[in-house]
Amino acid sequence: MQTWKQIRDREAGKLPSRAFANRIKSNRASDLQLSNHKDLVSSHKGAINSLQIDLTEGRYLLSAASDASVAVYDVQRPSEYEGGGVICKHRSIFVVDKQHEAGHKYAVSSAIWYPIDTGLFVTGSYDHLINVWDTNTTQVVVNFKMPGKVYRTAMSTIATSHMLIAAGTEDVQVRLCDISSGAFAHTLSGHRDGVMNVEWSTSSEWVLITGGCDGAVRFWDIRRAGCFQVLDQSRTQLGRRSPILKRSLITKDSSTKLRVAQKKHNGIGNKQQPIGRVPSKGPMKQRLHPGMLSTQDRATAHYGAVTGLKVTEGGLYLLSAGSDSRLRLWDVESSCDTLVNFETVRLQTSKPIQLATTQDSTLVFVPCMRTVKAFDMWSGNTYTTLRGHYECVNACWFNQQDQELYTGGNDRQILVWSPARLNADQMDEGPTEDQDNWSS
Amino acid sequence: MSIWNYVVTAHKPTNVTHSCVGNFTSPHDLNLILAKCTRIEIHLLTPQGLQAMLDVPIYGRIATLELFRPYGEAQDYLFIATERYKFCVLQWDPETSELVTRAMGDVSDRIGRPTDNGQIGIIDPDCRLIGLHLYDGLFKVIPFDNKGQLKEAFNIRLEELQVLDIKFLYGCSKPTIVVLYQDNKDARHVKTYEVALKDKDFVEGPWSQNNLDNGADLLIPVPPPLCGVLIIGEETIVYCSANAFKAIPIRPSITKAYGRVDPDGSRYLLGDHTGLLSLLVITHEKEKVTGLKIEPLGETSIASTISYLDNAFVYIGSSYGDSQLIKLNLQPDAKGSYVEVLERYVNLGPIVDFCVVDLERQGQGQVVTCSGAYKDGSLRIVRNGIGINEQASVELQGIKGMWSLRSSTDDPFDTFLVVSFISETRILAMNLEDELEETEIEGFCSQVQTLFCHDAIHNQLVQVTSNSVRLVSSTTRELRNEWHAPSGFSVNVATANATQVLLATGGGHLVYLEIGDGILQEVKHAQLEHEISCLDINPIGENRNQSKLAAVGMWTDISVRIFSLPDLNLITKEQLGGEIIPRSVLLCAFEGISYLLCALGDGHLLNFILNTSTGELSDRKKVSLGTQPITLRTFSSKNTTHVFAASDRPTVIYSSNKKLLYSNVNLKEVSHMCPFNSAAFPDSLAIAKEGELTIGTIDDIQKLHIRSIPLGEQARRICHQEQSRTFAICSLKYNTSAEESEMHFVRLLDDQTFDFISTYPLDTYEYGCFIISCSFSDDSNVYYCVGTAYVLPEENEPTKGRILVFTVEDGKLQLIAEKETKGAVYCLNAFNGKLLAAINQKIQLYKWVLRDDGTHELQSECGHHGHILALYVQTRGDFIVVGDLMKSISLLIYKHEEGAIEERARDYNANWMSAVEILDDDIYLGSENNFNLFTVRKNSEGATDEERGRLEVVGEYHLGEFVNRFRHGSLVMRLPDSDVGQIPTVIFGTINGVIGVIASLPNEQYVFLEKLQSNLRKVIKGVGGLNHEQWRSFNNEKKTVDARNFLDGDLIESFLDLNRTKMNDISKAMDVSVEELCKRVEELTRLH
Repeated sequence: MQTWKQIRDREAGKLPSRAFANRIKSNRASDLQLSNHKDLVSSHKGAINSLQIDLTEGRYLLSAASDASVAVYDVQRPSEYEGGGVICKHRSIFVVDKQHEAGHKYAVSSAIWYPIDTGLFVTGSYDHLINVWDTNTTQVVVNFKMPGKVYRTAMSTIATSHMLIAAGTEDVQVRLCDISSGAFAHTLSGHRDGVMNVEWSTSSEWVLITGGCDGAVRFWDIRRAGCFQVLDQSRTQLGRRSPILKRSLITKDSSTKLRVAQKKHNGIGNKQQPIGRVPSKGPMKQRLHPGMLSTQDRATAHYGAVTGLKVTEGGLYLLSAGSDSRLRLWDVESSCDTLVNFETVRLQTSKPIQLATTQDSTLVFVPCMRTVKAFDMWSGNTYTTLRGHYECVNACWFNQQDQELYTGGNDRQILVWSPARLNADQMDEGPTEDQDNWSS
Repeated sequence: MSIWNYVVTAHKPTNVTHSCVGNFTSPHDLNLILAKCTRIEIHLLTPQGLQAMLDVPIYGRIATLELFRPYGEAQDYLFIATERYKFCVLQWDPETSELVTRAMGDVSDRIGRPTDNGQIGIIDPDCRLIGLHLYDGLFKVIPFDNKGQLKEAFNIRLEELQVLDIKFLYGCSKPTIVVLYQDNKDARHVKTYEVALKDKDFVEGPWSQNNLDNGADLLIPVPPPLCGVLIIGEETIVYCSANAFKAIPIRPSITKAYGRVDPDGSRYLLGDHTGLLSLLVITHEKEKVTGLKIEPLGETSIASTISYLDNAFVYIGSSYGDSQLIKLNLQPDAKGSYVEVLERYVNLGPIVDFCVVDLERQGQGQVVTCSGAYKDGSLRIVRNGIGINEQASVELQGIKGMWSLRSSTDDPFDTFLVVSFISETRILAMNLEDELEETEIEGFCSQVQTLFCHDAIHNQLVQVTSNSVRLVSSTTRELRNEWHAPSGFSVNVATANATQVLLATGGGHLVYLEIGDGILQEVKHAQLEHEISCLDINPIGENRNQSKLAAVGMWTDISVRIFSLPDLNLITKEQLGGEIIPRSVLLCAFEGISYLLCALGDGHLLNFILNTSTGELSDRKKVSLGTQPITLRTFSSKNTTHVFAASDRPTVIYSSNKKLLYSNVNLKEVSHMCPFNSAAFPDSLAIAKEGELTIGTIDDIQKLHIRSIPLGEQARRICHQEQSRTFAICSLKYNTSAEESEMHFVRLLDDQTFDFISTYPLDTYEYGCFIISCSFSDDSNVYYCVGTAYVLPEENEPTKGRILVFTVEDGKLQLIAEKETKGAVYCLNAFNGKLLAAINQKIQLYKWVLRDDGTHELQSECGHHGHILALYVQTRGDFIVVGDLMKSISLLIYKHEEGAIEERARDYNANWMSAVEILDDDIYLGSENNFNLFTVRKNSEGATDEERGRLEVVGEYHLGEFVNRFRHGSLVMRLPDSDVGQIPTVIFGTINGVIGVIASLPNEQYVFLEKLQSNLRKVIKGVGGLNHEQWRSFNNEKKTVDARNFLDGDLIESFLDLNRTKMNDISKAMDVSVEELCKRVEELTRLH
């Protein structure tokens, strides 16, 4: 669609303004390429493990790397310009590394912003520590000693009544660290192996989703003991009233397999789940929990480890990536696999990977070894493959505000993928340089 | 200007977004209910047409409006849901004629993504539940219990992600919805689901239909006995039910609205995007559908809603043109159309651009808007106040009074105009050549000043002078009787009607005379303790010729008194307070309510409600109309009585919704006025201005006057050029024959006649984007500069455009220079004698260079990158304020020495802009995609680079309207002596046709009004229990925060509509007198 026409239709009221913004965002998100006008100059000397833009202003990118360093970049205000004002260079505002008195000793696996403002950020490291930093002074305010390497930390973006960091570590237990008290609030037991991924629900501040090396994806209501839901890769949406089209999408062999799976499912005597009940507000209640069947407790979402988790914007779906090189899209409410067949080739198995989705949940960005693939969320087809990193990609972050994708990998680079911009008119003044679009 | 802003609506939204018909106000009333985005109007269908019953604001943008009737009820309830997820059920209270809230609630969810295709709200025909589709993937159900009360809502998962329409099916034992949706291969299908209320889930419905017309967009459920659903596509219409499927091809069109004709659902009216109205008929044999037929009926405005009223009367609500009341005739007219337009209701929406001009050069701003779309595009000239259309005028100095007289009692027209001067009286009359000529009435005394004149019964005329009252025959013009003032006393003031004369002489004597056939009889005499300053006996009772009450204004004790007639008994005495004497009193009746108006010597006007049987005065209100003494006179226009208040700021007082309204007259100063309805100048007024007597007709009595110039094409940009007295517009014409084919023009219009006087057609694929009138340094000519874009079908963003420079020579557009650009020219500004253009993501400055051959060209000087799309640009001095597509406002500065443009600061919020304006050096105003307004401030004193580089957000407000344009200016005459004359204002125009005013207030006034606003919030409850504070809170996808540094003028000005008790409550809470509050709020109403 043409931006110009859309602007005109918006001003005449023919295109509702919300639809206008969403269309432009989608258009831009589907037009990503290695940025020809924005360069992030990486300050790291090790693999980039985690990337996140702050949630308040959408301005500061926090990156964590294997050289024990953490850096912050201003992605809105360039530190310098090149090429006649056309190319913006963004250097880090500050770096915290091993030299820092409170810096981590080993690889930093995860760095996240405090969701309320940019005054604090949280890092988790292989040195077993979770540090909470004051951004302005770059001093550690609180730290938490974990029983093993920290893989992932997460804070709820919608929480109003708690300030908990959920931490996935080498240990089988998921720990909730309370910033306000500086102590562990509680632990969540259930996984049978280390936990590579933790993700808060986007619709309830009490619901936490964790993905373990045991292949399980567990849902917890942190106010109650035990997990209330375990995703089962053999449970699919097929039995539900499903749209005619999705039925026809399913390939033959998968459907036969599914039929078996269903029989088994029925064989357990598990009553058909009540479907279509989404609590309009607040937590999900009374879900097979705590008396959840032990058979279900052993269910897995992936063969091997769950390496990536991502809840979609509206909170209706969950994406999971596994070391089985599978990407699955789950309907959260029914906890069924939607059976979208993502054309993944190979996923990294050794490390957690960070997935990203566009705001309208039409595309999911998945690090696939040295590339990042964008899949159509509903068909699973590869929409585009972003090639630019020299080594494995670990982290993606999609900046919803600017429709830019930031990716970081073992090649220590942070690449910016932005909607194509016409730079034709730079010919107007100054000599045109033979510009290399690759970040140096 | 300042950061303390006051936002007020000058012209309410007129875009009709929803309409429905039902028995709302009583079981036997047929009502038409209209939603105009943020307002609801309730009309009653009467044999005379539509009669307005209520017009109320809604604290939300209305997303759905539905009438429904719970089981066992005799009349309908109204269901409203707003875009910000509030809903309410309203009922009519016949006692108070107000809306009562039966239920309300919040239907927002944390889960799911808000729908792009618009919110859907539907009610089961058997009234078992309300269904809402607000978020993709969710269908919310609000069930009714068996008493018709709403129960707790729940969500059902809806797997269809791209839902286009949902409707309830009729005649199903369980509530059943039909869903029209698009799959991810862009194919469209319908499905049905039964709602299982107990399980809170869907059950697969009775049928589905795959692969419909690709343009299928609308479902029409068909009521029993046929049932089923019509699916309206762009090329086919399909009837579908569990056991039937009928389809017909149609002429390619996009159906925008439908209206059901018969209760049995066999006929429907469809309105398409070209304004064609068609009749769709379902042919059937008993309950079996046999086919579909469609027949074009004729052209209307492009419909957004169609409501079939009754007896072939249809209401057409429109978003792109005027709404209409039409009649469908049985026989086609000469053009083959069955449509007869009975009435048009003005709609200014969408206002895509406007300019503020002063065409009459009288210091009064007028707004000329680009309104409407497609074929209904037009220019609208919007002017505040009431205009006088001058018919004739003559120079006459020193007029002291004027009266018109008829030549006989039954003559419908006035013949004589009596003009009184300090020492003589002259009589003008229409002669045979329809000219005003001096004449004589022999019986009148013309050597002295006349105090009062009136027609009297029995073909007589009355003249009151300082020493006598003369009764004169209007046919023979001879004196029939005379009453002399007692010697030593002279008449000071006098008044009369057809049968009575009341006069006052010095010493406080009040004399009452009655007029008979050839006889003047002194009936009563009274002596008052003070001198009398003014009198009135205008008949307001049932007898049109005789008054039972007399109003008398007094010197010394500053009071106004009501006496009974004929016995001159004092009934009421009202102290006016203060030291200013009443100069004019008037008894009058508007809309069945009697008032006493009392004008003071300092330009204030008091009004009271008068009980005609007891003579009691109540509901005293005081307003300031001007600064000089006021003279009050009644006159009629369109069979309604109004009052003309002549003063230094002439005003017409009229009544609407039983409330007195004041509208200024567009004349500078009027000393006297009298109606003069002569055969040559029907319905005219005679007006005495400084040194001049004018006869003219008066506009319709309303606050804003709108003149429509239909263009037949859509104007997108407009600007005015003072020097050539022309307007230039960028417009486009849709070619209806071929899809997507448009032609773009630059057109020149005469600023008086609004005729096209010259046209410059743009190239194929070339669109006009912006137009300004400007001049360049070292060149005295004035030019029109037009920015264009070449919009090629295969390109996502234009890569080529032009800047065209025209002069106006002999009323023709002459292309002087052109410059190719590398993208669309979204905006142009005159800047330091140069031209500043916003081209795609770049700001580019061009200088105007003289070439060797004497011609000029635009040469690029410098530019600035770094925007996503620079859509809106304003400049002030060397500063450039850019509104970006999605990155809020940034401030650039042009550095002369370096010849470069640099970024100085910006707002890092992700606002998707729709317009920007510079309020003053430091404060910039923006409007954005989520209907909010905000202001940012330059922080030049910041301590760090970071602080200086950030525009600080200082004001936030939810307007609820999509603003397309801001312009500095004012709709009202700015008088330098008044307080409001000093308040700077910005005008804005919106998609819904709203013209609003943003006024920057001094801090003291802001604080005062903020307190008043918060008190008003407690007293004025929103319709449907909606909360004003929530409604005005700044709201976007990321945050909702309370409004700050903006005040809602519409709420504040509604103070004047409150009853006295509520006013007193507020006065008490504020610790300010009601009169003071009224005065301060009245002042604000003069801003628009």
